[in-house]
Amino acid sequence: MSTQSPPIVYRAPREWTRLHPVSPLLGGWAVFGVVGSIFLYNYAPQWTGVDPELQEGAHWLMGSIIWVLILAAVIVAIAIGIGFLQWRVNQYRLSDDSIEQRKGIIFRQHKQARLDRVQAVDVVQPLMARIFGFASLKVEVAGGENSGVSLDFVRLGDAEAMRNELLALAAGMKRAKAEGREATVDAVVAGADAVAEVDTDGNVGAVPAHGSLRDVVSRPVGVTETQAAPEREVYRVPLKRLLMSIVLSWPFVWIMSIPLFAGAGVFFLNLDVGRVIASFGTSLFTMVPALLALFGFFWNELSRGFGFIAALSEDGIRLRHGMLETRRQTVPPGRVQAVQLQQSLLWRKKDWWRVTINVAGYQDDQEAVSTLLPVGSRQDALTALWLVLPDLGDPDPAGTVSRALSGTGADGGFTPSTRRARLFDPWQWKHRGVRATERALLIRSGALVRYVYVVPHERTQSLSLEEGPLQRKRGVADVHIHSTNGPVKPIARHLDTADAEALLAAQAQRAAEGRKHQTPEQWMSAVGLAADGTEDATPEAAADPVTETSPAPSTTTPSPATPSEPA
Amino acid sequence: MTSIPADDAAWTYVSRKLINARLISLGIGLAVPAVVLLVVGVFTSPWVFAGLVAIVIPAVWGSWVVVRQVTAHAWMERDEDLVIKRGRMWRATTVVPYGRMQYVEVESGPLDRAFGIAKVQLHTASPGSDAAINGVPRDEAERLRDRLASRGEAQLAGL
Repeated sequence: MSTQSPPIVYRAPREWTRLHPVSPLLGGWAVFGVVGSIFLYNYAPQWTGVDPELQEGAHWLMGSIIWVLILAAVIVAIAIGIGFLQWRVNQYRLSDDSIEQRKGIIFRQHKQARLDRVQAVDVVQPLMARIFGFASLKVEVAGGENSGVSLDFVRLGDAEAMRNELLALAAGMKRAKAEGREATVDAVVAGADAVAEVDTDGNVGAVPAHGSLRDVVSRPVGVTETQAAPEREVYRVPLKRLLMSIVLSWPFVWIMSIPLFAGAGVFFLNLDVGRVIASFGTSLFTMVPALLALFGFFWNELSRGFGFIAALSEDGIRLRHGMLETRRQTVPPGRVQAVQLQQSLLWRKKDWWRVTINVAGYQDDQEAVSTLLPVGSRQDALTALWLVLPDLGDPDPAGTVSRALSGTGADGGFTPSTRRARLFDPWQWKHRGVRATERALLIRSGALVRYVYVVPHERTQSLSLEEGPLQRKRGVADVHIHSTNGPVKPIARHLDTADAEALLAAQAQRAAEGRKHQTPEQWMSAVGLAADGTEDATPEAAADPVTETSPAPSTTTPSPATPSEPA
Repeated sequence: MTSIPADDAAWTYVSRKLINARLISLGIGLAVPAVVLLVVGVFTSPWVFAGLVAIVIPAVWGSWVVVRQVTAHAWMERDEDLVIKRGRMWRATTVVPYGRMQYVEVESGPLDRAFGIAKVQLHTASPGSDAAINGVPRDEAERLRDRLASRGEAQLAGL
């Protein structure tokens, strides 16, 4: 790394630009590596056998392996060749109101993602890309699958420059600064302490605002023309808590219980140890898929929460996580459609919660990207909720949500499920309840696994009241709140029919009110609301022109949250 | 707070022609096994005709359900939203705000066309909102679509 030469300045291209030429290589390597390693694992032990028969077999295998390798090489070469052809026609540019991409050899595509319609911007670095300092930029718009723009791959600096610039454009920050409006993070974060008494001291400031999660290997040598909006860390998930949360999950408990049961069997029932072990041996084949699935579960849990940091900036919530593949998401607060807080039975003693969100543009199966807090204390969960919903429209938001999290029946002003529902809902009916604040609807459910759904009124897509034959007999009905595609599916079940009908009517009214008060598509105002607490009035107060924050451009310290060492 | 009225006056019920269209498609579905049974019965033993009972029962029951369903299917246009109700056994009332409609679709298959009816399907950004009005008279469907579209445009809110 040269220290004397002037740093490269990355900027988002305004004219058609190709992705980085190395892109076709980055895609296929992972697969190649995995396939290669599987072959090695499967065959390597056999080469070392001393048995002549085995040796012979190994030789034959080696011969076949060479052929397999040649075949694999040809396939990879073809894939790379096609990738190269595709790369040649894959171009992107940023215009003042949209990011455009055109690609495709046979079927030409020209995508335009309007900046004021952007739902989320992710910088994703799969392992290979991460090692060599590349990244993929994903711009999500609410148009279903494959509707967003995805740039795989560009240099990390280019991806960041593009992200920063399009976020800055979209957030109207340039305008805000031109008007001299107050647009500092501190003003925004001040609101957080009021709501959830966030324990930010010590954390804040420890992490440099800029480049704290720059991956160690791909340390940028340049600076981006548009700096990322300064941010403040709000919470993070320590590795210890994450591991503990995995230990406190049913799959883990299940695995641990197998030897326990076996041991108990041997001890108390006088079973033969050898037979127990033998039965394990024979059932190994059937257990392999189950074990793989379990491994997948642990891996997902680990990588979704590894190094998880949530931060707040002018252009939205920043989420970072990932172990081998890292992902840095920027979700504007107004873009969160629904929130779900969830607590499994095993987490109850620790009072840990998981917070999941619906963001239009993220797909149903993308659980990992829809996680706002993988595991955290009640305080963290409240903070997470505050992040996406700064104003709950309730005089005591923390108390209300707290009662929603652990109350039953009519606690905290909730409309409970009717007792008549106990016939077909014996466990949960006591815990179910629904309550509307001025800005959002809270739905509580679950006896063993607790759920709380929070849907802002203005984000309600549509509503429905549903009633089966048995329910009608008992005078019970469900109210469904339809949100955009995502893991959160809020339903208020088993309400008294009269309550349900009233809720449906009232909620339709509230949604209509909410839409009228809904701030326009600019993100700044959404977070700005929290800063001064007023509803509609945009802060016109002529504050001092915000001085350009100058994040340290060249030196980047490895984040304390990423224990990976420089290669 | 306006509650959703239970009285029939506010609701626009769908065309009764939908009953005919649904009965025909039900009949087609049941005619195939009936013909097969008849043929088999003619060539083998008359006992096979007893199997026809197994077709007659669902036919009668299905017709009854169709009539009940169609006569319960209605919609209501309000200031801010469209309300659709359907079903008797499984009752559902759906409220779709005009400002949330992404697009409105009018479709009619050959059977629908023969009876001069159409299906008006509303799409929001949510996959959950299953909002469709079946059996709307054709010209009414077109008018409804235009009305919904213009109201949607006037009240359109961002996601």
